[in-house]
Amino acid sequence: MARPLASPTFRRQRRQLLMGLGSLLTGACLGLSPQVAAAPDPARLRQVMQSRFGAEGTAALNDWLALIDRLQPLGIAAQLRGVNDFFNQRIRWLDDRAIWQQEDYWATPLETLGKGDGDCEDFTIAKYITLMQLGIPIERLRLIYVRASIGRGGLSQAHMVLGYYQLPGAEPQVLDNLVETIQPASERIDLTPVFSFNSNGLWAGGSSRSRADPVQRLSRWRSVLARMQEQGFL
Amino acid sequence: MSLITKLWLSIAAVLLLAFGGSLIVGLSTSRHYIEQEVRIKNEDNANALALSMSQLDKDPVTIELLLSAQFDTGHYQRIELRDPQGNLILRREASPFIGDVPAWFVNLARITVPAGNAVVQDNWRQYGTLTLQSQHSYAYRSLWRSSQQLVTWFAFAALISMLIAWLLVLQVRRPLSAVIAQANDIGNRRFTTSPEPKTRELRDLVMAMNRLSGSVRQMLTRESAQLEELRRKLQQDETTGIANRAYFMTRLEYMLESDEELHHGCLALVRVTDLEGLNEGMGRPETDRLLHDLATTLHQFALEYPGSQAGRLNGSDFALLVPNDLSSDDVAHQLKRRLHPIADRQPVLLNLPIGIVDISRHESRDVLLSRLDGELAKAERRGGRTVCVADQKANHLLFSTHAEWRSALETALAHGVQLASYPVMDAIGNLLHDECPSRLWLAGEWRPAGVYLGWISRFGMDDALDLASITSALHCLEKSETPLALNLSSRAISSTGFRQRLIELLRAYPREAKRLWLELPESVAIHHMEDFKSLCHDLRRFECRIGLEHVGQQFTRLADLQDSGLSYLKFDTSLTRGVDHQPAQQTLLRGMATLSHSLGILAIAEGVSTPEEHRVLIELGMDGVTGTAVNSADQESHD
Repeated sequence: MARPLASPTFRRQRRQLLMGLGSLLTGACLGLSPQVAAAPDPARLRQVMQSRFGAEGTAALNDWLALIDRLQPLGIAAQLRGVNDFFNQRIRWLDDRAIWQQEDYWATPLETLGKGDGDCEDFTIAKYITLMQLGIPIERLRLIYVRASIGRGGLSQAHMVLGYYQLPGAEPQVLDNLVETIQPASERIDLTPVFSFNSNGLWAGGSSRSRADPVQRLSRWRSVLARMQEQGFL
Repeated sequence: MSLITKLWLSIAAVLLLAFGGSLIVGLSTSRHYIEQEVRIKNEDNANALALSMSQLDKDPVTIELLLSAQFDTGHYQRIELRDPQGNLILRREASPFIGDVPAWFVNLARITVPAGNAVVQDNWRQYGTLTLQSQHSYAYRSLWRSSQQLVTWFAFAALISMLIAWLLVLQVRRPLSAVIAQANDIGNRRFTTSPEPKTRELRDLVMAMNRLSGSVRQMLTRESAQLEELRRKLQQDETTGIANRAYFMTRLEYMLESDEELHHGCLALVRVTDLEGLNEGMGRPETDRLLHDLATTLHQFALEYPGSQAGRLNGSDFALLVPNDLSSDDVAHQLKRRLHPIADRQPVLLNLPIGIVDISRHESRDVLLSRLDGELAKAERRGGRTVCVADQKANHLLFSTHAEWRSALETALAHGVQLASYPVMDAIGNLLHDECPSRLWLAGEWRPAGVYLGWISRFGMDDALDLASITSALHCLEKSETPLALNLSSRAISSTGFRQRLIELLRAYPREAKRLWLELPESVAIHHMEDFKSLCHDLRRFECRIGLEHVGQQFTRLADLQDSGLSYLKFDTSLTRGVDHQPAQQTLLRGMATLSHSLGILAIAEGVSTPEEHRVLIELGMDGVTGTAVNSADQESHD
């Protein structure tokens, strides 16, 4: 972002020339496709859901779409609460190994809704995406790796929550699947934050949003984003 | 645009296309790859650094140390840390290093990589945003290098392809120009054949054209064979195959009239006495064999001395005309030596009286023949195999010894050649060219060729004479527009030195050479066919015309000469003399004229002596006439 883009003239010339050179070079042209609008595509979502998880999954998806419609006009606090409750009540916590037969798998909200199961990342991702759909600015939402002390023994466990930052430098509200209600971070003494991230800035520079970009598959976060894009979320 | 140019251009276009394509694809692929790599590095390093910072106390010194350490030990262009409000906390920046890459290339291959961003946590709060940009200007250098290598490789490939193309073109061009030359030849009615090239399409073409030439040649051979048959009936004695009376007499008359052919010589008459008795005694076939042997021997004799002619005047009389070279006594001796063994072989006693007379230029034919009859009668009276030689008349010779002749001729040649002029008119009476026999200054007078030609050839000075004549003619052509025709000798055409000097001479007078007509006797062209063809080939570029004179005896062989580029034929007096009342001769000449025209060759009649002959010859399709009938009409302006 800090660097100027390549001169538009050069790009145009190059594109014309490449087109002229034929299909051999279409791969190069893909890099120039325009940005995809970040709006959900219910038809596509339903289609994917139907084909992968059947009627049950579709019902869950319809509920989710209804939730978005219902929460859309409300204030931020109500939206946060609504989304947090929706997923905490509907999705059963299960280990990735039980759901996906993999050590660690980051599922898209569609997969989470379809299965009805998820682990902490899946909860967090689903909430993040849903709030994003409701129009909350991305920079206020961060996925946070935390160390959680569970039970009286203070057993430490790797965990992930979603933080809502009213201001960038402020203390966040924590949306967690271990705790029903939304609490300010300072009240969550069982959690120690380690690192946070979101999708802000990932798509800077234009070409990184391409589905064909092989780099996306290399990182878990990028991979789940790409899959969401394919399924119709973004 | 020529085929060759098109080939070159398409090769160049294909090469350029391949080169441009590779360069663009190669550059854009490398560029894309580099962008991807640098982007991943930016993101990963930003996250790693932010992760480390998140774990530490947010003591400014520690933060700065960490950031500096990362910057100093890594390959970064910029690392900066801003607080959540966007205020700068820390920044490290290096100037972009580009190196020895031209600016236009950098602009062309501009690499755009987004910076990596990551947020540093301070417990739950965000401490700041880390932005990290790797150094990627090295990429320009490697792109520039690989482009340079590509260009070098393509230059090399272009060189090799051009070389291959050049060889290919060469391989095509040589047979192609041969085909073009052949097509031009056919256009000019020279039905040449050319060797078949290896390239298939061209080979088919050449084969087709060779077939065309071949069939035309066959047709020519057939036509000329028919004409030859006609001529033989007209001019040859049936039994012996040598010239008949009519032909011999025409020839004798022409020799006597001409300044160019004869100065002096001798004429012999051989008689087989009592032919009737022989027929009865030996039988017809034996007698015919005897006559044939005699005729062949005389013909052989005639062939040995240029300009000689043997003929059978009637059943029992054979005549032999020998110009210039031999004295009467020599001829008598030779005839005895050659003919008497034949007579000896016969089963019956054979009388073979021979009469010999001297002849000289402008003597009347009838007077000559009556003198000859007298000598023969004398020999017959004496009986047996007597040879009677008329008393030597006063010596006509200008000089008496070889040495005198040689020095006189050398002086005369050094003095220069004068050209006589006899007009050749075309069918509507325009001057076609002037025929220019040479004149040499000998014994205080310009002497005609008949006087000295024999001596010239005896001394081997023919080519010198020819060159001197051509030089004079070229000088005349500088001043006058009238084309001039000159004779070449047989010795000249087979001499390479002569040809070399002739070419030099013509090269010096390129404009005049176009109006120069060079002619050779038919017999010379036939007997030295290879020399003649190569001379024609060498002279073609000067656009001078080459023709044959005294055509008639070997017309059938002309089919072999048609591809040499002849532009005119002069038909011999023996064919044209008296043509107005000889229907068979008319048929023959009409056929010859038609055949000449179909080869794009002018037909000219020699020795035309009367207006009637002139008229008939033009009607027969002759393109030009020459001879006394024309000379007198043109006398005022040309003599």
